[in-house]
Amino acid sequence: MTDTNAQNSGRVPGGFAADIATDLASGRAADLAEVYALDAVDDAERAAIESYLLSAPQAERAAFNERVRQARETLATSFTAEEEPPAGLLDRIMASLPSQDVPAAPGAHPSHAPSAVPPVVARPVREPSGRPVTDELGDARRRREERRRPQGMRGWLVGVAAAAIIALGGVGVGAYVANQNDPLNQVMQAGDVRQATVNVAGGGTATVSLSTSKDAIVVKMNDVPAPPPGKVYQMWLIPKDGSAPVSQGLMDAEALSKPAVVKGISTAAALGITVEPTGGSASPTTPTVAEAPLGA
Amino acid sequence: MTTMQVDKCPSRRVAGDHDPAAARPDPRSAAGTLCLKVMDTPNAPIPEAAAPPGTPADVNRRLGALLEQIAAGDQAAFAEFYELTSRRVFGMARRVLIDVELSEDTTQEVFLQVWQNASKFNPEAGSPLAWLMTISHRRAVDKVRSSQSSTDREAKYGASSQDIDHDSVSDEVGSRLEAEAVVRCLATLTDTQQESVRLAYYGGLTYREVAEKLNAAVPTIKSRIRDGLIRLKTCLGVS
Repeated sequence: MTDTNAQNSGRVPGGFAADIATDLASGRAADLAEVYALDAVDDAERAAIESYLLSAPQAERAAFNERVRQARETLATSFTAEEEPPAGLLDRIMASLPSQDVPAAPGAHPSHAPSAVPPVVARPVREPSGRPVTDELGDARRRREERRRPQGMRGWLVGVAAAAIIALGGVGVGAYVANQNDPLNQVMQAGDVRQATVNVAGGGTATVSLSTSKDAIVVKMNDVPAPPPGKVYQMWLIPKDGSAPVSQGLMDAEALSKPAVVKGISTAAALGITVEPTGGSASPTTPTVAEAPLGA
Repeated sequence: MTTMQVDKCPSRRVAGDHDPAAARPDPRSAAGTLCLKVMDTPNAPIPEAAAPPGTPADVNRRLGALLEQIAAGDQAAFAEFYELTSRRVFGMARRVLIDVELSEDTTQEVFLQVWQNASKFNPEAGSPLAWLMTISHRRAVDKVRSSQSSTDREAKYGASSQDIDHDSVSDEVGSRLEAEAVVRCLATLTDTQQESVRLAYYGGLTYREVAEKLNAAVPTIKSRIRDGLIRLKTCLGVS
């Protein structure tokens, strides 16, 4: 069950051992660069890798560092979840700024000519009027938030076929006793669990089990046809405050048969499911095929 | 796997045409430009000289300049750096840690580290954004591993992190193009590669914990992470 990768067939294939020490001893340090860049090693393993590199041949160290650099650029480009930090955090940070480790040589940092700096959109205004910087930043942030508020949300919701709630009430838990620590079972066995089933456009139903105390729902698709080729189902939480739907994950043909746990529902008005291209979308691109109000 | 855009753009242009003017988005025909860009240079990053506002290259140049000012003690530059990047730092912390307060603490620690270590930023070793996100991820992972058992982390990871990780909605054409490329390139990974990389990145799991969670052999998971990230790098044209 090794993964093949045609694009990289030039590399030494496979060959990892179960532990890092053996990998290092067998000359695979550079192949650990991606795992290392992903912070997917524990502290002892990270120390072992770094200690090995200190005494490794320069070429091997350079190869490792180059791959780590590329992996970090790749991660910074690919994983770009954004969320507005709490208001006032910048003020708190500014208030706690300690003195800096000023570099010994002022010329150590080559300065770019100011003209080389491109204009930045939504760049906050600097303090020309003596107004506190953070107020201006707050204003800029509010303006930006207003711009970002999706205009089409009402339409998106209104365009959805009315969801049919078939059942609401207590749920039997007999089928879910296997593992009490399983997040799925924590929801299903919660004292306050409620259940609703909604129709899915295209066939089948989605059963949503909601526990306010666990702040989570379990979504189970029943007899829902597999998504068309090149498409997946994508789940969204639709916030009460009218902000943009927040993706909660994808369901491909295989995942359809399994219940999915969605947490953090207290601020959500509804769960929506759309059909999106494989890999999912940043925001819904089609009307929902199912929607379940979460009147928690 | 096929790319989503191919059939939508009948007038395919010769790959390798790097005329900067052609790559620069024309605001009057955003849809056409989107198609053009995707077809023209499917994976390569936009050349710096032609980078429109909002692209990583453009943001990175600004961040690099700000880091120099921050290193000299410029608080206004620090505030602007925060304004440009705090959504990314906090967004990632939230994905890894879930808990709002822990995420806020982590974000604060990250920016304090930026303030104190700005002079140590070395442009040769990577872009400012990669530097910042490396600091951020390490902080978040350290915190999640010290505060939660791996079982808790897997449980919290749950369904909440299996999406495409590209949930920032930007109105900048440049970042939209970038997002398109990422979606397309992530689709070139096998499902198991994507799953392993995401469990490690947003789940904060070690390769060993990923293997346990997926009931897979430990060497297999190391291979998936390595091959997945290299494939993603190649597709994105990271150099």
